[in-house]
Amino acid sequence: MVGLQEGMCPGLDGGLLRSLLAADVKTVEDLVSSDLEEVAQKCSVSYKALYAIRRVLLAQHTAFPVSGADLYDELLSSTAIISTGNPSLDKLLDSGLYTGEVTELSGGPGSGKSQVCFGVAVHVSHQLKQRVIYIDTTGGLTASRLLEMLQSETSDRDEQMEALQRIHVFRLFDAYSLRDRLSTLRSGGLLQASGGGSVKAVIVDSVSAVISPLLGGKQNEGMSLMIQAALALKTMAKDFGVAVLVTNHVTRGGRGEVQPGLGASWSHIPRSRILLERTDRAPSGCSSTLRSATLIKSSRQPCLIKEELDLQWWSRSERRSSGKRKRDEADS
Amino acid sequence: MSIKTRVSHDGLLARLEARRCLKDIEPRLFAEDEGPRHGEFSWKTELLYHLLCRCVLPEAAGGLEVDALFVDTDYSLDMLRLVSILDSRLSSGTSLRSSLSRLLVVHCSSSSQLLLTLHYLETTLNSRPSLALLLIDSISAFYWLDRCEGGASISRQEEKLSKCAELLGRLLRSVIMTGVAVLLKMPSSGLAASRSSTLEADRPYLCRPWQRLVTHRVLCSRQEAENHTAGGSREEKRQVFGVHCSSSSSRTKASRISPFCVTDAGVQFI
Repeated sequence: MVGLQEGMCPGLDGGLLRSLLAADVKTVEDLVSSDLEEVAQKCSVSYKALYAIRRVLLAQHTAFPVSGADLYDELLSSTAIISTGNPSLDKLLDSGLYTGEVTELSGGPGSGKSQVCFGVAVHVSHQLKQRVIYIDTTGGLTASRLLEMLQSETSDRDEQMEALQRIHVFRLFDAYSLRDRLSTLRSGGLLQASGGGSVKAVIVDSVSAVISPLLGGKQNEGMSLMIQAALALKTMAKDFGVAVLVTNHVTRGGRGEVQPGLGASWSHIPRSRILLERTDRAPSGCSSTLRSATLIKSSRQPCLIKEELDLQWWSRSERRSSGKRKRDEADS
Repeated sequence: MSIKTRVSHDGLLARLEARRCLKDIEPRLFAEDEGPRHGEFSWKTELLYHLLCRCVLPEAAGGLEVDALFVDTDYSLDMLRLVSILDSRLSSGTSLRSSLSRLLVVHCSSSSQLLLTLHYLETTLNSRPSLALLLIDSISAFYWLDRCEGGASISRQEEKLSKCAELLGRLLRSVIMTGVAVLLKMPSSGLAASRSSTLEADRPYLCRPWQRLVTHRVLCSRQEAENHTAGGSREEKRQVFGVHCSSSSSRTKASRISPFCVTDAGVQFI
């Protein structure tokens, strides 16, 4: 709702504004939907003048239609695919996280969602040299863990520090702060938060931790906060060309099958959704780092394809192009 | 909708001339005597893309060569997917741009902006006489936002959306939108994949003016079908959906369920 203000458009001077307000026409929407003849009579102003003002205001505040061809060209030039660093995950996601889209990772406790988020953050900041915004709502992110993962990528202390500096962390623990932080980021705060560099990934771990306590019952506020946060994420992804990765918990559906949480209204938000589960085959009872990832929603791949994911992939030490082990313990 | 001839040089009446008839946009979905004046779609965005492609493609590729306006409320338009469907239906890549230029996309970020955009529709229609399809995806995007803003009173909650519905109804009845079909996509409130082939009763949850506006309802349900590949021992399980269109104005009560599956090239009716 946009309120009417003086000088908004030529012809809308103080006197006319006061008479409009007296006639209960307070916002642009009111003016546009009202019967102009009636309002012109009440405010004793000419119909033509009011009609001209209405036309200008409408043209100013309406969303501008874009041709499909221009939209496609813009998309081709601005979309990038951010690799997650794990080839099995990339295969599932059709080469990686697409900018301009929201990708969701859901799984039960201990299924490795946060681990995947850490891995993606480290990969984007170190290998791709791009900035990452990480919103942590569970308190599970520690700099020492990120450092440990970086140490397996490079033994150069400076490079490790640089990569850590490219990851910007926000810690929030309730839905209102999440919504406010996302709104700030969306309306230009993205550049400020990252200190002027280019942000390519925004990771929210996890959305459901702060939203699901507010859902259910008779209050509408939880749903509204969820949708506001979702719209902020999508707008951010599209406007700034970033890839958004969110995590979600799981619940059991009607037939007892495992499904992502937050309900049907949330299910339309992410473009691609992956479900992480522990694999059934655990080698000789020890804790395995293997997980099974299933693609449950995608617009590019056939659904329900599975891949096996090794959570330790991002911490592997033999990954240099020369193939030699370079763990320099004396330096770390 | 029949094709009307031009009776005067007035810009307003020029739109009455030769708007392509959308009667045969998809005969398997809409019966002979019904036209897709209004529709309410379930969450299958693919159907929407299928109809969109049918409109914008050139006649040589099986389309109707009309313009379409897509009102996107939640950034759910997947251009890459749409282009891949168009590509697979076009024989050569040259007419892709001309097909895409027949599509207009408007993005709305709130129900007030949706209302203003609908008011501006008249101007848009004036500048594009070949516009024959208006798609809104999805109407319910601002449902929870409006509900929360409206506080305790239901009428305040529904106020903006009702205004949109009333405006759209008024426009449709006026001469401005003669020959324009409107399709609304509305994700159902509680969708559960059901194994049976009976359709879920879609409980409408939008305000009364919208419910009055809609004359055709298209409902979708998932039917899992096992498909044996010819001569092979491997069983292929395809996701098969059944779509069913019910109309409040149809004379016959027959409701046909048309099965379709979704492939790389979009919706394929079986």
